[in-house]
Formats: sequence, C-alpha cells, structure tokens
Amino acid sequence: MERQFSFKLNGRQVSVSAPPAYTLLEILREKLDVTGPKEDCGKGECGACTVLMNGSPVLSCLVLISQAEGAEIVTSEGFMRDGSPDRVQKAFIENEAVQCGHCIPGFIVSTEALLSRNPNPSVEEIKTALAGNLCRCTGYASIIRAVQKAAEKN
Amino acid sequence: MRLSEVEVVSARNLKDALSILHDRLDGIKLIAGGTDAIIQAKDGSLQTRQLLDISSLPELRYIRREGSVIHIGALSTYSDITESPMLNSSCRMLVEASRMIGSLQIQNRATIGGNLGNASPAGDTIPPLYALDANVKVQNHERSRLVPLEKFFLGYRKIDLQPDEIITEISFEAVEKPYDGTFLKLGLREGHFISLVSLAIRVKWESEGDKFSDVSVALGAVAPVVFRARKCEEYLKNRTLADDTIWNAGKIASEESSPISDLRASANYRRAVIPSLLYKAVDTLIDSRRRSQEP
Repeated sequence: MERQFSFKLNGRQVSVSAPPAYTLLEILREKLDVTGPKEDCGKGECGACTVLMNGSPVLSCLVLISQAEGAEIVTSEGFMRDGSPDRVQKAFIENEAVQCGHCIPGFIVSTEALLSRNPNPSVEEIKTALAGNLCRCTGYASIIRAVQKAAEKN
Repeated sequence: MRLSEVEVVSARNLKDALSILHDRLDGIKLIAGGTDAIIQAKDGSLQTRQLLDISSLPELRYIRREGSVIHIGALSTYSDITESPMLNSSCRMLVEASRMIGSLQIQNRATIGGNLGNASPAGDTIPPLYALDANVKVQNHERSRLVPLEKFFLGYRKIDLQPDEIITEISFEAVEKPYDGTFLKLGLREGHFISLVSLAIRVKWESEGDKFSDVSVALGAVAPVVFRARKCEEYLKNRTLADDTIWNAGKIASEESSPISDLRASANYRRAVIPSLLYKAVDTLIDSRRRSQEP
C-alpha cells in the first residue's frame, strides 16, 4: 500500500508516493532519478549508497523511506555549485582518484561530511572517515590524496 | 515476503509505540536504526508483515549521569556514544566498542537498544555492558521493569522481552578511578568487521602493586550468548599481574568458552586467541595506569 512521503532532497522539497518499506535508495534512484547513490551490496558493507541524512552520512540502502519522512537528504549531486563540481569533486578529478567511478559518489559524500566537521584531517582521520566506503579498483592512495588536496583548499 | 511488501507503522512517541504494540500483538516487529533489521528483512531471516518503526522516538535518545550511574536511552546511536564527552571520560570501554562497530555510516544509524534487541552473540556493545553489570529497562503500556543484563539474555538470540515491550534504557555505574576498563575485538580486517572474538574487562585496581581487587571479564562471539568468564575473574583477583599469571588467566577463560566453527573462524582458532586478547587487554590497563601515575 502506497503512502505519501515528503523530505528535502538536495535543497528542494520533494514528495513521493511509495510503499513505506521501500528503501531510501530505491526511492532516490527509481522514483526520483537521482542515480549518484548506487546499490552494490545492499547490506551495509560497501558504502556506495552513502547519502547525508540530517547532516550525517548514512547508508540509503538501510534506511526505509518511511524513516526519511521530513528528513534532509543530500546526495553527491547536491554538492554541485551551479552545475559545476565543488572543491571536493574537483580534487577527486584532478588527483585521478576516479577509476571505474562506481564508488565515487559515496566517497564524495563521506568526504564532504568529514571536511564539514574537520577541515584539516590527518591521514588517519581520513582513513577512519572513509573506512565504510569500498573501492574495488583499490584506488585508495589517490582518494586519500584527493581528500588532502580538497582540505588544503579550505 | 519481500521487504517492499512489509507494512511499516511509524510511532510518533513512546506512548504511541507502546499502545500500538499492546493493540496489535499479531507479529509486529520493532525496527530502530534498521542496520540489522533491514538486512534481515531483505534476506528473509526476519519474517514479518509489519514493522513498527521506533527510530525517531524523541524520549529514548539521551545520555545522562545521575550520581555515579550513567543512563543511556535505548535509541542512542553509536555516534551519540562515541561523541559523548561524559562517556569518553567515564566509560571508555563502551566508547571503544561503539567505535569499532561497522562504519561511520552504520554508527550514525545503529542504536544500543537495537544491538541488545538483535541479540547476536557477536553484538559488540554486549561484552562491555556485561562487564559493567549493566541493567536493562524494558517497558510496556502500563509498567516498566529493570533486568540485569545477564538475565536479559536467555539463550542464542533469545531475550527476556515480551511482544508488547520495548527496551527503553541501559544503565550502569561510571568507570572511574580506581576502576578502569577496556574493550578489544578481533576480526578479519581493521574496522567494519564482525567480531571473531571480543573481550571486555572492567577492573578495580588495588592501591598498591599491579593487582586487581575486583575484575569482570566478558567474552563475545565464543558461545551462544555473551558470557562472564567467572573462573578467569576469580583467578585474576588479588594476584600480582606477572606475565604467566595473565597467560594462565587467559587459558582459563579459553576453557570457559564454547565457540563454534563458522565461515569467519574455526572453534580452535577462536579458543586459541582468547589468551592473547586477554593479555593485550590487561597490558593496556597496566599501561594506562602507569601513564596516569607519572608526575
């Protein structure tokens, strides 16, 4: 049975009709065409579906749409500035942190969350903050470098 | 039944949630942060047509101290715990355990009450809470009751919670001088793993010498339920902490365990690492005591 759910997505108010046990990830991708967050493992291990929920990174494959009612959700798309990449996204591109690219939207969201709380993280702090995001191309060294460069631009 | 077909009832407050539970006892299951429940619903191990979502009950998300007792609302997330200055200074073993559960994304959603309710033998907040002699408060629409944690766990994934009850609070004594404690876990990689073996220890230091006048040791993932290694505790109590004393205590704890072999590790491996884990934990406590005594 479908119900109506409203929440804020990337700065604008959205409303969708959906069964209450759909995951937030399914709603974003299938009903709202926001395809930054990806489904890989579907069980909280890979981080490809990471979004911000009320300012904190969470896994959208493990949040029910009914739990997101009234929340503020930001996906990797939400950090774009007037259609251009922001400093974090630019740093990932410039430091060749992107290989196949599949995991990157999740990494972007985790990085944005880290830098908003800690503008100058140590390598250890970066690793801890990104431990929930897996890159199967294993490009971690360049990802960490990209986060450091993005932090320098603060 | 597929997850997408499950009906979700969202409770607005605790009273609302308890009256829903009271009115419909037809197999409705609770969901809090959902980091276990949603996975179980997806893979079919949580069989239910209805979920009662209690994730946003405002009354159950708090961490406070009254006298020497710390009270944690059941819907406090692991991030709430790791970020609490009070818990960082007065119960670091619970902070250490919470920091090692899943990733930051999981810690932002998963709740301490959910960890108890899910009742996995590998649940990482359970050993520290056993070592702390914590009490669990559960509530239904007309009354609440307080259960010592050890009595709350009845067997493998079995807890003393009636279908109309909700876990509302966890409480325990603050861990302050001369008390100390720590938590360690062993898994297949650093961070974001399910415990192969976990160990929590709370001790009371003797004023003189390397001796514990009181000690609690709890082990996770090496028995159907987390348990207190009481023979090991008895052996360690009032004994000078020489190397072989600690190793012997570890062997005793190992003999008290009853691990199984599964895809993560064999029973023999689990038994074999318990002494090392205990040694490392006691060593950590000795170290931090020395550091606190330096002028």
